[in-house]
Amino acid sequence: MKNIAFGQYYPARSPLHRLDPRVKIILTILYIVCSFLCKNVWSFALLAISSIMLIILGRVPFKIILGGLRPVLIVLIFTSIINVFWTKGEILLLEWRFIHIYLEGIFSAIFIIVRISSLIIGTGMLLTYTTTPIALTDALEDVLSPLKKVKVPVHDFAMMMTIALRFIPTLVEETDKIMTAQKARGADFSNGNIIDRVKALIPIIIPLFVSAFSRAGDLATAMECRCYQGGEGRTRLHVRHMRFKDFIPLVLIVVFGTGLVLLNIFAPGFTMS
Amino acid sequence: MSRIELIDIEYYHGKDTPYEIHALKNINIAIPEGQITGIIGHTGSGKSTLVQLFNGILKSHSGKVMIDSEDIWQKPKQIKRFRYKVGLVMQYPEYQLFEDTVYKDIAYGPKNMGLSEEEIDNRVREAAAFAGLDAELLERSPFDLSGGQKRRAAIAGIIAMRPDVLVLDEPAAGLDPRGRDSIFNNIREYQKTLNTTVIIVSHSMEDMARLCDSLIVMHDGEIAMTGSCDEVFSKADELVKMGLDIPQITKVMQLLSEKGIDVPKGIYTVEQAVEFLKSLRKSKKEALQ
Repeated sequence: MKNIAFGQYYPARSPLHRLDPRVKIILTILYIVCSFLCKNVWSFALLAISSIMLIILGRVPFKIILGGLRPVLIVLIFTSIINVFWTKGEILLLEWRFIHIYLEGIFSAIFIIVRISSLIIGTGMLLTYTTTPIALTDALEDVLSPLKKVKVPVHDFAMMMTIALRFIPTLVEETDKIMTAQKARGADFSNGNIIDRVKALIPIIIPLFVSAFSRAGDLATAMECRCYQGGEGRTRLHVRHMRFKDFIPLVLIVVFGTGLVLLNIFAPGFTMS
Repeated sequence: MSRIELIDIEYYHGKDTPYEIHALKNINIAIPEGQITGIIGHTGSGKSTLVQLFNGILKSHSGKVMIDSEDIWQKPKQIKRFRYKVGLVMQYPEYQLFEDTVYKDIAYGPKNMGLSEEEIDNRVREAAAFAGLDAELLERSPFDLSGGQKRRAAIAGIIAMRPDVLVLDEPAAGLDPRGRDSIFNNIREYQKTLNTTVIIVSHSMEDMARLCDSLIVMHDGEIAMTGSCDEVFSKADELVKMGLDIPQITKVMQLLSEKGIDVPKGIYTVEQAVEFLKSLRKSKKEALQ
């Protein structure tokens, strides 16, 4: 249970870790848009290169990135198979009974793989691997703050998210402790049929709920004791200031996006159908 | 009675992650049978990790845990057998309570062992008595009990499995002095009556000095000292160096010896000190006459 790295934050010292999280949120959105701008071989190649550059910039081990891609492996395989067999094109590579494989099909399968994995690598490298969950919610509050004008309780949502994130490790630890305690009394979570296994969870869930509720009550009291009353007039302990360095990536991503569009138009190559 | 032996144990928290910690280093110990053994050490010295190896809650990355000369991980499927043999009371065990009555909660362990209703009933009542829990509390909800009573109910839940070895991780943490004393008295009585092996983890020197027959001192994931209370507390300087406290009365005796009084080493309970001071006074009087 201890190995659950929520948000998958990977501690390291890198330019991406140091970058202002608000910039990273905006970059992520733009990067996603960019990945959908790609149309042909050249622009997809540029996209793939950019993902690899992001990995190098963030100093996250390749092994961890691959681990992050594992959950979507089935989706990747499935979509690429569909693309290979069902895309119709002009250059026929293989024909056997009802199976027709075209070169275009193979390309579009590769395109899909590149697009999905760079989406995941991009968001991972820009956000989850390089930003602590707490910094992320703080930044989210800032980025969404224009919505306050239309009476969306942005601060309250951010606070709820912060608290939830803050308590995930605590609850994981607690679950771990309770599981250990019940195991010491002969509980068995891995054997038996479904009904047995569900029943075996009761001795964990009940104590967990009891302590989670009492913790929530304690936290509410503690916050009230410190006169917490929502976001009105509340200041931050750590105020982030945008530095010149933080604007550079924004310029870079615009250049990157423009580059992709230009490649789509001027570089000849296989185009995604 | 069962004999616990640890051979060349190495254990890491979060192995192969950036957060890896070498929690236990080269542990080689044998726990004396039919005695109360105390494991003491600073917070983070690896005490709790160590005791979780005893019943196979944790598995060491190298080395062997032997119970009655049997490697407990020989047949991983049968690990439960050792969980019943070595009863582990975790830190703050009151969090494990979940049933709607105290009786049912204490019966959870024995029920997992597949015992008959009658046997379970016997064991629950016996365990409650050992843990100092009034019989009338058995029908109450565990969530209505006071902190100390919850602790006792949780301890009874382990005792009810009639383990050969009872391991208690900080059984008195967070209790007031009276609750602490009475829990320790119950533990001692339990040990004397059944003559089982009891292992207690604590960082309170005072409690350990009064309760234990022998001690294991841990420091930074290693065994720093083992031996009887006399042997361990006579090395007060080393204990202090490890950031451990020594019993207050031992401190007083140390001060006396610094003032030039010939104090024997290894005084660690108030009773011993009283004895010594009485004999000192007697010899002074005789010297005067």
